[in-house]
Amino acid sequence: MNPPGFLTSSWLVARKDMLLEWRTLDTWSSSAIFAVVVLLVFQFAVAGGAAQQLTGADLVPGVLWLAIAFSSVVGIARSMDSERQGDTLSALFRSPVDRGAIYAGKLVANCIKLAALELVLVPLAIVFFNASLAGFAWLKLILVLALCSFGLCALGTLFGAIVSRVGRGEALLATLLLPSATPLLLAGVTATAAVFHGDELTTVTRWLGMALGFDLLYFFLALATFEFVLEE
Amino acid sequence: MRRSGTRFLDATLLAATIAAIPAAIWAAMLYAPTEQTMGAVQRIFYFHVPSAMVAYLSVAVLLTSSIVYLAKRDLKWDDLSLAATEVALVFCTLVLITGPIWARPAWGTWWTWEARLISTLVLEILLLAALLVRRYASNRDLGARLAAILGITIAADVYVVHKAVEWWRGMHPQVFKEGGKGSIQTEMQTALLICTVSITLLCVLLIRLRYRTARIETRTQTMILERAEEGD
Amino acid sequence: MSEPAISATALTRRFGQIRALRGVDLRLENGERLALFGLNGAGKTTLLRVLGLGLTPDSGSLAIDGYDSRREARRARARIGWLGHASLLYGDLSAHQNLAFWGRLHGADDVEKRADALLEELGLATYSDEPARILSRGLAQRLSLARALIHNPALLLLDEPFTGLDPLAADSLRKRLVERRPDAPSMIIATHRIDDGLALSDRWVLLSRGKISASGTSEGTDPASVADAYRAPRKAS
Repeated sequence: MNPPGFLTSSWLVARKDMLLEWRTLDTWSSSAIFAVVVLLVFQFAVAGGAAQQLTGADLVPGVLWLAIAFSSVVGIARSMDSERQGDTLSALFRSPVDRGAIYAGKLVANCIKLAALELVLVPLAIVFFNASLAGFAWLKLILVLALCSFGLCALGTLFGAIVSRVGRGEALLATLLLPSATPLLLAGVTATAAVFHGDELTTVTRWLGMALGFDLLYFFLALATFEFVLEE
Repeated sequence: MRRSGTRFLDATLLAATIAAIPAAIWAAMLYAPTEQTMGAVQRIFYFHVPSAMVAYLSVAVLLTSSIVYLAKRDLKWDDLSLAATEVALVFCTLVLITGPIWARPAWGTWWTWEARLISTLVLEILLLAALLVRRYASNRDLGARLAAILGITIAADVYVVHKAVEWWRGMHPQVFKEGGKGSIQTEMQTALLICTVSITLLCVLLIRLRYRTARIETRTQTMILERAEEGD
Repeated sequence: MSEPAISATALTRRFGQIRALRGVDLRLENGERLALFGLNGAGKTTLLRVLGLGLTPDSGSLAIDGYDSRREARRARARIGWLGHASLLYGDLSAHQNLAFWGRLHGADDVEKRADALLEELGLATYSDEPARILSRGLAQRLSLARALIHNPALLLLDEPFTGLDPLAADSLRKRLVERRPDAPSMIIATHRIDDGLALSDRWVLLSRGKISASGTSEGTDPASVADAYRAPRKAS
C-alpha cells in the first residue's frame, strides 16, 4: 500500500479531469462557442477598407491566435471551477502525492482540452477567412500550435490555480495570462504566418526556440511553486 | 524601532535625493543641448528612459523579496514586495505617460509599438493584477504567498517579453529612431547619467518609505487581531 | 507493539503575529478516540489541520502512525483520512468514481472492491453510478466518510462532521462512527456538540488560546463540566 509516485499521480489527476470533461463537456463547449464568437467578431472588424486587400494567409494567423488565447482562458477557468464546489483542491493538497504532480496532471488535461478545441478552430478559421494549406504545411502548423499552446497551458494552469484560490474567474485570469504570454503569442502568430505563406520553418527558428524556452521556463517554475499555491 | 544606523542611512538617502532632484531638472532642462530634429520636447527622454530602468530595478527588488518570503515566511519581506510593486507601478505609469507625450510632437504618433513601451504596458497590467490578487485573498498569508509566486513569474516574464517584442519590432522597422547610444552627444550622455542617478535615488527612497509604512500597517493589523482574540 | 496514531510534541503555529498554537503535546494510541473541544479561535481547527498535515507547524515534532511528518511526509499523509464540512467530492463524477479516484490517489489496494464494499456498508450502493451532486447533504456526508476510509487510514480526523445535517442524517452518521471494529482507525473528532463528542471518544481535551487547558476521560464525564471548562477564565500565557 504505497502512495503513488509522480507519474502515476499525474496520470490519475489528468484522467480524473478528462473523465469530468467527458461527462459534462463543460470546458469544451464553453470555450468552443466562445472561439467561434471571436472568429465572427473578428470578421466584422476586418470587413471593410484596407483589410479587403489582405489574403487569408495574412488574416488567419492573427485571428487564430486571438481566438486560442481567449478561449484558453475560458477553458482553464472552467476547469478550475470543477475543484471549487467540493473544495477538492485542499483534498488534493492533503493527498500523499507530490504537489507538482497535481500541476502536471491538470496541465496535461488542459493541453488535451485545448488541442481538442484547436482541432475544430483551425479548420473553421481556414474556412471563414479563405486560407489554404498544402500537404506538409499541416504538419508544420501542428508543430507550431503544439509548441505555443503548451506554454499557454503551462502558465495558464498555474495562474488558473492562483486565481481560483482568491475566488475569481476569467477576467483576472485573462489579465494575468494574456500579457504574460505575449512572447508566446508573438511567436505563434509569426510562425503561423510563415506556415501559411509557404515559408520554411527555418525562417522562424528563433521564434520557435523562444517558445520552447518559454515552455520549459514556466513549466519548471510552476512545478516548483505549485505547492505554495495549494497550501492551506 | 529603528536603530541609529538605519536612521543615519535613511537621512543620507533623503538628503541625497533632495539634492539630486534639482540637479536632474537642471541637467535635463538647461544643461543638455536641444536636439536638432525633435526640439525641446525631446528633453522628456531624460525622464522617460531612467523611469523605465528604475521600474525594472523595482521588479528586481520584487523578485528578490518574493523568493525570500517564500523561503522565510516573514511578513516583512511581503511588505517589501508590496512596496516594490507599488513603486514599480508608479514608474511604469510615468513611462507610459511620458512616452506618448514625447512621441506625438516628435514623430506625429501617440503610440509606438516598440519594445520598451509594450514591455512596460505588460508590466503595468501584471503588477496591477498582482495587487488585485493580494486584495482578493481571504487572508494575509495566502495573499502574500500568491503575490510572491506572481512576483517571480512577472520578473521572469518582463525579460522575455522585452526580448520578444524587440525581435518582433525588428521585423517591422519604424520610421523613427530613438536616441540610441551611438548617435548621442556627450552632454546628452552626461545629462542622462545625472537623471538616471537621481531617479534611481528617488526610487530607492520611495521603496524605503513605502516599506516603512507597510511595516507599520502590518504591525498594527496584527496588534488589532491579537486584541480581538484576547477581548471578549 | 504498534506505533501510536499520533505522536506530537510542542506544536506551534503562527499566522503573521497571531500565535494560533502555543505548544501542544498530544499522543493518541493506536485505536484510541479523542474528542477535541474549544471555542472558535482557540486553535481547534488549526490543530486539526496541522495533525491532518494540511498545515505545517512552525516548530515541534509530529509523527502519524510512526511516520515523521517532515521526513516521511507522503507516507504520513497516506495514513490519514479527513472528513470536514466541505464534501471533498466531485459532483459530476459518480459515487464509485469518486471513491476510485481518491482511493488510488491515496495508494489504496484493491480499490474497486473496497469502493463497492464501502458503498454497500454505508447504504449508498444504489447511488454507486449516480453523479455525486444528486446526493442530499446527509448522503453526501456518508460518501465523504467513505472517501476518508477508502485507503484504510490509521487515523481518521473529523472536523465538525455534523454541521448542516438534519437530525436523521446526524443520527445515521453517529451510528456509523460509534461502531467499534477491529480494523477501525484511531479517531479525533473536533466538535462543539459536547454530547456527541463524549459519546464518540475515549477521552477529550479542551483547547484554549492555543494550548490544551483541560482534559479528561469521556466515560463518566458530565457534559456540563466540559461546558464549564469552556467558560473558564482565560489564563495569561
